[in-house]
Amino acid sequence: MKNITGELIKTKDALKKLLPSEDILTFDFISEKGMQFCVVFADPITDKELLGEQVVRALLDYDGKPTAAEVGAKLTSPEMKTETALDILALEILSGNPVLLFAGMDAAIIVGTKKVFTRAIAEPSTDVAVKGPREGFIEDVKTNTSLVRRRFKTGELKIEFLEVGRRSKTAVALCYLEGTSTEQVVKEVRKKINDIDIDIIPDSSYLTHFLSSRPYSLVKQVGTTEKPDIFCAKLAEGRVGLIVDGSPIALTVPYLLVEDFQSSEDYFVPTYRATFTRVLRLFALLVAIYLPAFYVAAQLFKLQLFPVKLLLTISGAIRDLPFTPSLEMLLVLLVLEILNEASIRMPKYVGMALSVVGALVLGETAVSAGFVSTPAIIIIAFSGIGLYAVPNLIEQTSVVRLAMLLVAGSVGTYGIILATGFMILYLVTTDNFGAPLVAPFSPVVGRDLRDSIVKYNLGSLQKRPKSLKSPNKRRLK
Amino acid sequence: MKRISSRQLYFFLACIAPVGKLLFLPTQLANSARNDLLFPMLASYLVQAGAIFCVLLLAKRKMNLYELLENTFGGIAAKILISIFALFLFYATLVPLLEQRLFVQNVFYDTLPSLIVFAPYYIFAAYVISKPLSSHGRVWDILAPLSVFGFLGILVLSVGSADFGALLPIGAGGIRGFLRGTMSATNWFFDASIALTLLGKFDYGKGMAWKGALFYLAGGVGVLTFLATFYGIFQETALHQLFAFSQTSQYFSGVTVLGRIDYLFIFALALVMAFYCILPAQAGVDCLLQAYGKPRYLPTVFSVLVTGTLFIISLTLDYRFSEVLEVISGTMFWIFPIFTVMLPILCLLLRRKRREKA
Repeated sequence: MKNITGELIKTKDALKKLLPSEDILTFDFISEKGMQFCVVFADPITDKELLGEQVVRALLDYDGKPTAAEVGAKLTSPEMKTETALDILALEILSGNPVLLFAGMDAAIIVGTKKVFTRAIAEPSTDVAVKGPREGFIEDVKTNTSLVRRRFKTGELKIEFLEVGRRSKTAVALCYLEGTSTEQVVKEVRKKINDIDIDIIPDSSYLTHFLSSRPYSLVKQVGTTEKPDIFCAKLAEGRVGLIVDGSPIALTVPYLLVEDFQSSEDYFVPTYRATFTRVLRLFALLVAIYLPAFYVAAQLFKLQLFPVKLLLTISGAIRDLPFTPSLEMLLVLLVLEILNEASIRMPKYVGMALSVVGALVLGETAVSAGFVSTPAIIIIAFSGIGLYAVPNLIEQTSVVRLAMLLVAGSVGTYGIILATGFMILYLVTTDNFGAPLVAPFSPVVGRDLRDSIVKYNLGSLQKRPKSLKSPNKRRLK
Repeated sequence: MKRISSRQLYFFLACIAPVGKLLFLPTQLANSARNDLLFPMLASYLVQAGAIFCVLLLAKRKMNLYELLENTFGGIAAKILISIFALFLFYATLVPLLEQRLFVQNVFYDTLPSLIVFAPYYIFAAYVISKPLSSHGRVWDILAPLSVFGFLGILVLSVGSADFGALLPIGAGGIRGFLRGTMSATNWFFDASIALTLLGKFDYGKGMAWKGALFYLAGGVGVLTFLATFYGIFQETALHQLFAFSQTSQYFSGVTVLGRIDYLFIFALALVMAFYCILPAQAGVDCLLQAYGKPRYLPTVFSVLVTGTLFIISLTLDYRFSEVLEVISGTMFWIFPIFTVMLPILCLLLRRKRREKA
């Protein structure tokens, strides 16, 4: 690794050689006493106003020795450090921190005047709460860690900054509560992050692949949240969190499946209401997955499953349909998925038109034209709504729903039972960072059941979840 | 390796094992012992509970079955013995598998479906067998509440239609009927053998042997209650009612309004049974793995071989279930008591201390 020399011109040229891009600028100035300075900075990501104020203005009347210590003492920036290695200086420039060079220097000074482009902290659209905090993470890692720090006024909160990505050098903040998170998990996460050898990390979702014990699995193995209050609550339970620069979605491990049936609001409403909504979410999810499949299986293989009057209604509705029940359901499901995908991507002003097209043109007209039956549309509508009751599992459950539908259409109800069996065995044999995915249901952890589908009041939740194996067991005294 | 907890073991004994006895066995017992069908079942349960008590006592020695045998007889003899035991377990899989296939074909489809509808079960079985036997502990955690839900649901819907007076007079079938019933039930009672293969996968806790036997008997009480309800509903025609647990609840008065809601409970029990039926085969594979080591590919190879063989056998015996049953629970009935009752008792006589390995 090459180091700087005392000669200003040579060092400046060496840096320019390392960073030949046109957006890397240099600014030379001479103090009133004749001492030469040069600032090398990345134009788009450096706060030039701050640079002028804290560096240039401060040095205009400099008359001291050309040493980093003395020059540094004159600067008014709260963030600065000295460095001699050219590679590191180049990296700092690329991160938005200008480098101050001067004639006869022993070390260059890096000044923290990075320009940060951030949006305002807002409520995340995917996790809206009627009661409770409304803050959401944004794309800036520093802002996000500050939101976490604000909630933990203790030295036990450790935030380690790691770097991932050969080219992007993305900052990843590893957050945990010392003495509450399992040391083993912290070590494992740190190792997994450090072992990642990829060119860029555009979003935190890239990291989930590297953190999962079964990377190709359909099942989610890393917890996600956009809300700092949830993130902090998870840290307080003994989990380890990761905030990635450029992503508003923070990650937490170990992940338990039951997490996604809990919402932050459950902790701000009466316990009976929280329990009711959690049961409702589970029921909605089961309806979303199984209802279309059982409807098709019953039509094809076991009509007895319908009550007689319902059977008569259904048989009337499907009498002249050109498609088989499974094909009909598959088509309606496909239309729903397309509408869903299109409505997310398309501009908002077209969204209204799409709703009209989806609900009236496709729905109403398809029924009256005899392509699909009304019961099929009702079933899929139920299923579609049910899916969104647990928004964090949509990616997984929509695929499972499709698979169940295919199995039901080909093998019938027994196929659905076997597919469920597959799912159970797969889920119960998946562990993540030492925690069983389906805990506290399998293995049954009695204490943790108090905050699972059932929600006890806060006074009964004296200890942290046993499944997470936190060394600090008690949270309420 | 994941360990099986004592709770999971009790769940298996009390909630999972009884499910296998609710399908064809009630019909078989009604055929052999008529209204005395409870007594052969009770006798079988008591004997099996005794065997389970012995097996759980063996857990104190902290060795798996192969190590127990090797400790007394040496490596080669132990390998031979455990291979014979594994063969027995594969043999024990046959009846539950065939009865399940018939149950699926008859209960889940309005018309007789093609053979292909049961074929996915073999893929499922291969997947289950390829997993370690100890992973079943966690499966039992999920299946136990499902089993209770299914069983209680069916019982609640059925019990109103039963006339328990049909079980009287006691002893009408005579000792001959009792013996015939007990004999014909032997092939449904292999739970002690399963427990034998679980040795070394769970830790012995204080009073575990008693508790295990009592939990098993608690499951037995459930089965006896169901049996009484079954006979109370069908009475003299019970011997013609195949797949008992899918039959009893259909006379519930709400069915006309709500449809066959009892299917919800039948589905729950069918899911439990899907796991239970393949358990002996998986236990057999586990025995072989205990004896012949555990290279990574071996469980997959064994699972494909075993399920492939079972698939071919079940295809060959497609319409021969009654003949198979006649051989297994008639002519060859003595095989089961040897491996499920005598073997656990004899295992108690095996050497206690570990032999020093040269």
